[in-house]
Amino acid sequence: MSTEVSTLSRLNPADFAVPAAMDKIRSRSLVVGVFFGLLALIGYFTSPDAFFRAYLLGFMAWLGVSLGSLGLLLVIHLTNGRWGLVIRRILEAAAKNCWIMFFLFIPLCLGVPRLYPWAKADLLANSESLRWIHGEYLSLDKFAARGAVYFAIWLLLIHFFTEWSKQQDSPGNRSHSRLGALAGPGALLFGFTITFAAVDWVMSLSYGWTSTIYGLLFLIGQLLSALCLATIVAVILARYEPMKALLHIDHLHDYGKFMLTFTMVWAYFAFSQWLIMWAGNLPEEITWYKDRLHGGWQYFGLFLALFHFVVPFMMLLSAQLKKNKGTLVKVACWMLFMRYLDLYWLIMPNFENKGGFYFHWLNVVVPVAIGGVWVALFFRNLQGRPLLPLYAPLTGAVLEPAHE
Amino acid sequence: MSTQDIVLDREGLAEVPVIEPGHTLASVTEKISDIVLVRPLSIGWVAGFLACASLVGVLGVAVGYLFYKGTGIWGINIPVGWGFAIVNFVWWIGIGHAGTLISAILHLLRQSWRNSINRFAEAMTLFAVMCAGVFPLIHVGRPWLAYWLFPIPNTMGVWPQFRSPLLWDVFAVSTYATISAVFWYTGLIPDLATLRDRATTPIPRFIYGALALGWRGEARHWHRYESAYLLLAGLSTPLVLSVHTVVSFDFAISIMPGWHTTVFPPYFVAGAIYSGFAMVLILAIPVRAVYNLKDMITERHLENAAKVMLATGLIVAYGYILEIYMAWYSGPKSIDWFTVHNRFFGPYAGPYWALWICNIIIPQVLWIKSVRRSPFLLFLISLVVLAGMWLERFVIVILSLHRDFVPSSWGMYYPTKWDWATYFGTIGLFLMLIFLFVRVLPMISIFEIRMLLPEAEAKHK
Repeated sequence: MSTEVSTLSRLNPADFAVPAAMDKIRSRSLVVGVFFGLLALIGYFTSPDAFFRAYLLGFMAWLGVSLGSLGLLLVIHLTNGRWGLVIRRILEAAAKNCWIMFFLFIPLCLGVPRLYPWAKADLLANSESLRWIHGEYLSLDKFAARGAVYFAIWLLLIHFFTEWSKQQDSPGNRSHSRLGALAGPGALLFGFTITFAAVDWVMSLSYGWTSTIYGLLFLIGQLLSALCLATIVAVILARYEPMKALLHIDHLHDYGKFMLTFTMVWAYFAFSQWLIMWAGNLPEEITWYKDRLHGGWQYFGLFLALFHFVVPFMMLLSAQLKKNKGTLVKVACWMLFMRYLDLYWLIMPNFENKGGFYFHWLNVVVPVAIGGVWVALFFRNLQGRPLLPLYAPLTGAVLEPAHE
Repeated sequence: MSTQDIVLDREGLAEVPVIEPGHTLASVTEKISDIVLVRPLSIGWVAGFLACASLVGVLGVAVGYLFYKGTGIWGINIPVGWGFAIVNFVWWIGIGHAGTLISAILHLLRQSWRNSINRFAEAMTLFAVMCAGVFPLIHVGRPWLAYWLFPIPNTMGVWPQFRSPLLWDVFAVSTYATISAVFWYTGLIPDLATLRDRATTPIPRFIYGALALGWRGEARHWHRYESAYLLLAGLSTPLVLSVHTVVSFDFAISIMPGWHTTVFPPYFVAGAIYSGFAMVLILAIPVRAVYNLKDMITERHLENAAKVMLATGLIVAYGYILEIYMAWYSGPKSIDWFTVHNRFFGPYAGPYWALWICNIIIPQVLWIKSVRRSPFLLFLISLVVLAGMWLERFVIVILSLHRDFVPSSWGMYYPTKWDWATYFGTIGLFLMLIFLFVRVLPMISIFEIRMLLPEAEAKHK
């Protein structure tokens, strides 16, 4: 492969720097984050219960993007796809934001007594099963300790995947084999930790209800969120060099295909869970759906079925749409919004307002506040490295596809 | 270099070709078609074929006696109304899935390494579905009324229950069998024409000629062929998921503890692919040795199949662990926890732990690269996995049914010699069909292998 060698010897990291125009997005999102953060703070003092519910929603939504990015990195290193190299730095920057999610986990622990039935003394007094799980598994100290373990695993994985990737910016590195070797065990750890975290943080809001597919539902949702964010950022970057030359139409097509696949898998998991519980009609299971399919929530659920699956599914079938930056980004933005709504539908019907649909202004403010800070830090992470690993095995092929 | 043929070695830029170098268009055609047209019958083939055929005889006796006496000759009883028949049905259907995955999904993903193994993997699918189809038919007890399964308007007012997943299964499996057969046959047409053209005696020439449907290799033929094949691949892809999902609904839709759990659909699909790839390896490893096809079914193929097995096996392990975890999480008084306890320590603890050893523990050696590249070890591990996946279905079917909510209705299940005879009989049927297949049809797709050669590159972009 003599062509690659000649290309690689010419590479200059400065040619792959993040365009300066990103500074504007970074500072603006920080302003949005701080402004909404202040609003959220007001909410915290005026209605703390609603604040923590909204906080959990925002936390899960943005954690999902970070962890989903880690998940996609694992997929990329397991499969060596060329599609992955172009968005790898974006995913690494997003995954690195797991650090702030770790710090944001601490306030969540403070909100535990307001959120979870297993931490409420009156409910504990009345329920033997709740007392049992409280003693064995779901108590504040165990909740916090397990959370620390999950974050330790994620942060460690992210550390290796970003540091070894950094080594690929200099010639003669041997990172490729190490990245590949860690991806397999990494995927295993990733799958299990996300499952257990989803049980701790969301499923235990309705203790007594269980579903074995629940973790996978979160997993696929996170992969979808991360892919949508990476696509959006890649297209924004593609207005400028170097991404303008790097982001090939075939890559866009691939991201669109992945979006379609993840959307279908999400629907498959969600539908399977619903069908099995609906047909079983057992009191301890169907109540969870009763809360979500009555009192206004049924329209919400229908909206999810139509616009988290049916409509994007049909749109993403079109190859033309997937190859067009403008339309694909619109779908990606929409899907990110749908991810938020899906989490809303999973989280919010758990609380007392079971009489009907529940909306609080904080449910918008807090996720936006976290998101503003998240996006600002994301761009800061992104600016730290060249937009392409300069000496990864596929770099030559991505830079000069004409030689293939 | 074609982009599709490049794989990166772990160390960097080394390229591993899909097939060994040294072949030309003519040598590929000659090598594969000669197995069918020129190679004389060997004693080994005849002996193997006869051994399998005698097992089919056993199947015939077992089924004949079943029709004469009824399902009472089996070990099924109340509460275990679904015995070996359903265990074997699910096992066979699962095995078929790898063929569809290889031929359809890997085709859509442009994984050119599949070209060496898709033909006989598809044949395997078809034969496995045939073996699977035997069981529900004979399990209904009155096989002459099997047409009641279909919604055929009739004067008796008999109409299937559309809310039952068992009916969905009828449609899922029959669709699967149809699409798999059409897909397989469509893929065979260009090769059948090659055999017609190379046959030297009139009878094979006539048979292959009739089957080749007048294929002349025209540009128009190829154009239509490629579109048809792509469409069939698209049609088959959802079937990889849907068929075993529906099979999992057979269990999960009910409220039986051990069956009613939401992870079943993806976990059944993963298990199906797991056992299917094990069967692919069990067939590929001896076939490539006996017919000297190591240059076409290379170590890379074996390694990729082993990786798929490792990945799907871990998804299956995820399913097992989640079931245990959720049962524990539901509390010590939950029926799910009782079910888990019964699996751990109950009368069938032996098969349960054997399942763990076969399906989860032993296959972990596939993490080691040298194991993935050793045909002998892969063959052994694949046998272990197939046994493990059979045990999984045994655990799901029998262990759930034998102790349900009401202790007074508990019971035990012991398979009879007729159960075993039917099971081994279908294994004989499957292998007999494979023996026939390798001698009468090109077991590797001739024209798709030719596409992997450097000469074909520009055209196949």
